[in-house]
Amino acid sequence: MIEVINISKTLPNGKKLLDNISFKVKKGEFVGILGASGAGKTLTLRSLNGLLKPDSGSVIFKNELGEKVNICTLSNKKLRKVRQKIGVIFQGYHLVQRLSVLENVMIGRLGSITTFRSIFYGFTDAEAHEAMGALEKVNMEHLANNKVSSLSGGEKQRVGIARAIFQKPNLLLADEPISNLDPKNAKLIMKLIKPLSEEIPVIGVFHQPEMTAKYCTRVIAIKEGKIIYDGKPNLSEDQLSEIYGEELSTLALQAK
Amino acid sequence: MSDFKIDLPSAKFKNKATLTSIVILLVTFICSYIKFNPLVIFTEFHFLQEFFVEMFPPNYGLFYENEGVGQSILQTLSMAFLGTIFGGFIGFILSFFAANNIFQIPFLRNFSKSFLAMIRVIPSLVVILIFVIAVGPGSFAGVLTLIITTIGVFGKLFTEVLENAEEAPSESIYCAGASHLQVIRYSIIPQVLPAFISNLLYVFDLNMRAAIGLGIFGGGGIGYKLYMAMRVLHYQDATALITMIVFMLLIVENTSNFLRGKLLGEKL
Ligand SMILES: Nc1ncnc2c1ncn2[C@@H]1O[C@H](COP(=O)(O)OP(=O)(O)O)[C@@H](O)[C@H]1O
Ligand SMILES: [Mg+2]
Repeated sequence: MIEVINISKTLPNGKKLLDNISFKVKKGEFVGILGASGAGKTLTLRSLNGLLKPDSGSVIFKNELGEKVNICTLSNKKLRKVRQKIGVIFQGYHLVQRLSVLENVMIGRLGSITTFRSIFYGFTDAEAHEAMGALEKVNMEHLANNKVSSLSGGEKQRVGIARAIFQKPNLLLADEPISNLDPKNAKLIMKLIKPLSEEIPVIGVFHQPEMTAKYCTRVIAIKEGKIIYDGKPNLSEDQLSEIYGEELSTLALQAK
Repeated sequence: MSDFKIDLPSAKFKNKATLTSIVILLVTFICSYIKFNPLVIFTEFHFLQEFFVEMFPPNYGLFYENEGVGQSILQTLSMAFLGTIFGGFIGFILSFFAANNIFQIPFLRNFSKSFLAMIRVIPSLVVILIFVIAVGPGSFAGVLTLIITTIGVFGKLFTEVLENAEEAPSESIYCAGASHLQVIRYSIIPQVLPAFISNLLYVFDLNMRAAIGLGIFGGGGIGYKLYMAMRVLHYQDATALITMIVFMLLIVENTSNFLRGKLLGEKL
């Protein structure tokens, strides 16, 4: 479970990037965040794992010991401990191109093994086998030894998901995980993410309202740093034009 | 008539003519200042001719008669190799302390950067003179000099490589709770490894040339052999050594280029 309470972020020039954002996400929920470009979706997501420090407000999350902590106030070691329990997948995949698929999956566990061991020995055989299990879940086990640079976009995102699975997180964040993919691969990725939300809360930023309507259990819409909608994933035409404004027409074109 | 000003061809010609005259005057003045007379090459041509005659034919018999030649070639290769390995390793370590995106203490980072810049500006011939006096002539002084120059060159090259490493994969590993050292090990190093090896090969190539030059100044190896042959007026021996050196450098350069091409081609 994660609870965001009144987070705000203002630029020195007074522009409000995030304006009193609050929401709470529980296990079993797959929340889709919608909004036009520049609305503040990425910044919201980045506040959830401490990549961004809001000026005010708090993000409450249970750490590995089951204690409630405020991610906004953590730093260094404590922040790393919490991040072990938060999986993240990205629009641009953000994998290490020169490492193999399997190594990229195992990297997800770095937070929970000692720096000494990870540098002077590396991962264990048991971890490699477990990582293969994660790759099997996304049907990528046959490419385990390939360099990531040789994969297609859809395959790279599946590696990203396998890494998140292997990390054993208590929360999964995804920032536009399907925006670089063709419709077929986008669907495939959504189908892989969906079952994860039965185990842990999943929060994803999406640019495809038809996808969030189909796969998410709840939609939060952000406009100019404010939440303007939080509820059922099916949105009416009017609600969409409220969320996206002028951008709606390009969005409709993409969907076709 | 428009007010728009164009560069008139006549004005352009005047500019070019002025500039050319200035350059010619300057060159003439500087030549006379250091008493450099290019025409001497033609007026005293017989001098060079006699010298060339004495240099040919090259005495390739030298390689059979004098086993020290083979040894000195090996010595030069070893000097370049050790200079590259040790200097490369130290430069590699230092470059992490000089890279903006990796080392987060600005004061110490600027210190590392300045240190690398400083050892780069000292000419290697000055360094070898110091070491020859400090530790005596020979390959030890040569290797120490190569290590110093390699640290400078490699440190700069590699700092830039590190600073060009992609940020995104590192951030995604931080997101999994990894420490700085883990990010360096699992994101930065895999990214820069091909450039690291490629730069090492390139620096080895440079160090081969430098090792020969340093030999003349007391650094040992085949450079020293060449210097001695010239000094005792064994010009035919010298020619044999020179062809040998050129041949060796060609092999090293081509191998280095070939390996680097393969390495960077594989990068995708
Ligand atoms: N580091 C930053 N400094 C200043 N402005 C920023 C910074 N990061 C993001 N912004 C601005 O904040 C707004 C929201 O950004 P973001 O959350 O990335 O939008 P999106 O909803 O498209 O993901 C944008 O207008 C962006 O220009
Ligand atoms: Mg974004």
